[in-house]
Amino acid sequence: MKPLNLIALLLFLGGAVWAFTRSEPAVREIQSAYYSAMAPFLKSGSKMETSARAFLKETKHSKELEVEVGALRGEVGRLQIIESRYRDLERENVQLRQALAFKKATNFDVVAAQVIRRHPTTWWQTVDIDAGQEQRVGTQLAVVSNEGLVGKIDRIYEKQNRSSVLLLTDEKCQVSARVEGSPEVGILSGQRGRFEVTPLLRLRFLSTNAALRTGQRVFTTGRGGIFQPNILLGTIDSVEKGPLDSEALVKPAVNFADLGTVFVVISAAP
Amino acid sequence: MIRYSSITIFLLLAAFVVQQFLPAFTGVHDSRILLVQLVFLCSAVTVGQPTMLTLAFIGGFLWDAQSALGPHGGDPEVYTQQVESVRFGYSILLFGGMGFLMQGIQPLFKQGKWHFSAMLSGIAIFLYLAAEYTIITFVRGDFSLSKATVIQMLFTSLLTMVFSPLVFWLLFLIAKLCDHSIKPEAGRKRSRAQSL
Repeated sequence: MKPLNLIALLLFLGGAVWAFTRSEPAVREIQSAYYSAMAPFLKSGSKMETSARAFLKETKHSKELEVEVGALRGEVGRLQIIESRYRDLERENVQLRQALAFKKATNFDVVAAQVIRRHPTTWWQTVDIDAGQEQRVGTQLAVVSNEGLVGKIDRIYEKQNRSSVLLLTDEKCQVSARVEGSPEVGILSGQRGRFEVTPLLRLRFLSTNAALRTGQRVFTTGRGGIFQPNILLGTIDSVEKGPLDSEALVKPAVNFADLGTVFVVISAAP
Repeated sequence: MIRYSSITIFLLLAAFVVQQFLPAFTGVHDSRILLVQLVFLCSAVTVGQPTMLTLAFIGGFLWDAQSALGPHGGDPEVYTQQVESVRFGYSILLFGGMGFLMQGIQPLFKQGKWHFSAMLSGIAIFLYLAAEYTIITFVRGDFSLSKATVIQMLFTSLLTMVFSPLVFWLLFLIAKLCDHSIKPEAGRKRSRAQSL
């Protein structure tokens, strides 16, 4: 081997060892520097991607949208009437609650955001949303959609007002879950590259004789300090019994292939 | 030579930018075009070992910086079994391994047979994905390989390989502009034939 090649190889291995021994905060700093350098490209690229997607969607569904707008106008009128009635009832309810000193019902304070980009990785399941520090979004906050739990905030892009969401389908996103109508609780997570068509989630650490049936709904327990309770996760697809514990495969409630608007849970009243 | 090597490094960095906007093809088993890996593989066969290792380090380092995930967080009493992650920097070794594989057929490339390198780039991508998946499952401690995963890896490799002639064309163009020959033996043969 030529001396120059040998020196290059030793330097390469030294560099690899240096990278391997980086601590978690150091990796985050490297990541932050990387995404800061990428920021101008990502910003313009995301804008282009969003507008292109919107344009394509608009041209494809313009006729359908016209019909839908007509129907929605009618629906809005109907809902306005219902809303005025609802407001009266709400006022009345508040007065009654105050009078009875009821505990305030659980309430989420959320920030709406749009999914602007999917990360270009093969195995990891992450997306970028257009909400960040300006909207008080921080790491480890739950992200939900109108269908159920989407994931949690993994990273905030500094000074870019964007953040990265780790999806529920990734195995690093673990959620403490319970099965509706049963005493079963377990830990739910996705699994990289282990699904055929629909990404199924794994609900582990169930009791050996867990009596579950297909279609039973799975919700968050609220334990663990990240996810609020009673957020829909999915429905039981099948149950595999093991010698020490059982495991269920759960069909996610959210359609991860078609994520549009999501909500970051900033705070939740106890 | 230095100019050509520097440009290949810039080309790799440019591939990182373009990669951000290459979506997964949901209709083709969620496969992707791995442009960063492709540019690295095609460049690796055209440069010497020191430059290849530099490219491998930059490629692997930035690839991991792009995809590393944060800690799980949450109450350790509830989440007793924390998910182990693959360590930051593992891609550096994978890129290095792929680079050595490509350099193995450098003699053929130097004879002007770049088609073999183009085909090998597809094989190298498949091996790269297989190795990455193996590392993930090894860390998880539960090996399972579904048909869908194999198909996804296969289509990703094929889709990426299709674009290798384009990258080689770009590299030949850069070499020409830098007045640097990346196929010296083919060039020598041609000049010998002309002199005869």
